[in-house]
Amino acid sequence: MSEPMAPPEQKASPPDSTRTGPGRLLVAVYGLFALSASARASVQIATKFHHAPVAYLLSAFAAVVYIIATVTLANGSPTARRIALVSCSVEFAGVLAVGTWSIVDPATFPDATVWSGYGSGYGFVPLVLPVFGLLWLRRFRRGRSTDR
Amino acid sequence: MSDAVPTTIIIYGLALAAYALLMTALNRRVGLVLLVAVGVLEILLLVLVGIIVARLAGGGRPSSVPTLVGYLIAAPLVPLIAGFWGAVERSRWGPAVIAVGGLVAAILMVRFHEIWPVIHV
Repeated sequence: MSEPMAPPEQKASPPDSTRTGPGRLLVAVYGLFALSASARASVQIATKFHHAPVAYLLSAFAAVVYIIATVTLANGSPTARRIALVSCSVEFAGVLAVGTWSIVDPATFPDATVWSGYGSGYGFVPLVLPVFGLLWLRRFRRGRSTDR
Repeated sequence: MSDAVPTTIIIYGLALAAYALLMTALNRRVGLVLLVAVGVLEILLLVLVGIIVARLAGGGRPSSVPTLVGYLIAAPLVPLIAGFWGAVERSRWGPAVIAVGGLVAAILMVRFHEIWPVIHV
C-alpha cells in the first residue's frame, strides 16, 4: 500500500514552470489563502464594516495580494513572474508591518486580520508563505536557460 | 451519532496528511491509494454537509448563516481540488498538495464548531 515512485528530480536543470514541482504546493496554499481571505473580508465588510474598518480593509488588501500571487504563480510567464515578485514582496512587507502594528496598537484591531500577530491566527503560514514564494521565484530569476 | 462525523474527519484528515507527507518524503507521486483516500474524505465531508443542512432545515440557526453556507459550499470542494491539483503533478509535490487538503479538512471542523457550536468535534 504505497504510491508509485516519482520520476527522479533533475536537480541540475531549472524547473519547468512556477506551477509545477514545489510550485504546485505553493499555488495550492496561495489559492487557499486567496479564497479564504477574500471570502472572509467580503463577509466582514458587507455585514459589520464599522466594527473594525482598518482591520477589514487590510483583510481585503491581503486578499487582493493573495489573488494576484496565486494567478501569477500559476501562470508563470516572465511578466507574471515579475508581478508575482512584487506581490510576494508586498505580502512579506505587509505581514511584517500589520503584524507589528497589531501588537503595538491593538485598539485599531478589535477584530483580527489575516496578518494580525504575524499571521498567528493562521499558524504563521502568512509569515512563511511569502518567504517560500520569493525563494521559489529566485530559481527563475535568470530565465529558463540557466541554473542558479 | 452525528457528532462522530466531525471528529472522524479531523482524525482522518490528519492521518491522510501524515500519509501524504510520508509519500512526499519517500519521493512518491499520487497513485491509486491516495486518490481513494481523498475520495473517502470527500464522502465524509458530504455526509457532514448533509447533517448540517438537516439541522438548518430543522430550524437551528448559527450566529452567521452566510459564513456557514460559505463553509458548506467550500468544504466538499477541498478534496476535489486537492485531489485534482495533486494528481496532475507527477512529482513528490503531488502528495504534498493532498496533505494540505487533509489539514484543511481538519481545520474546517474546528471552524464549523466556532461558527455553530452545536457542531461538536
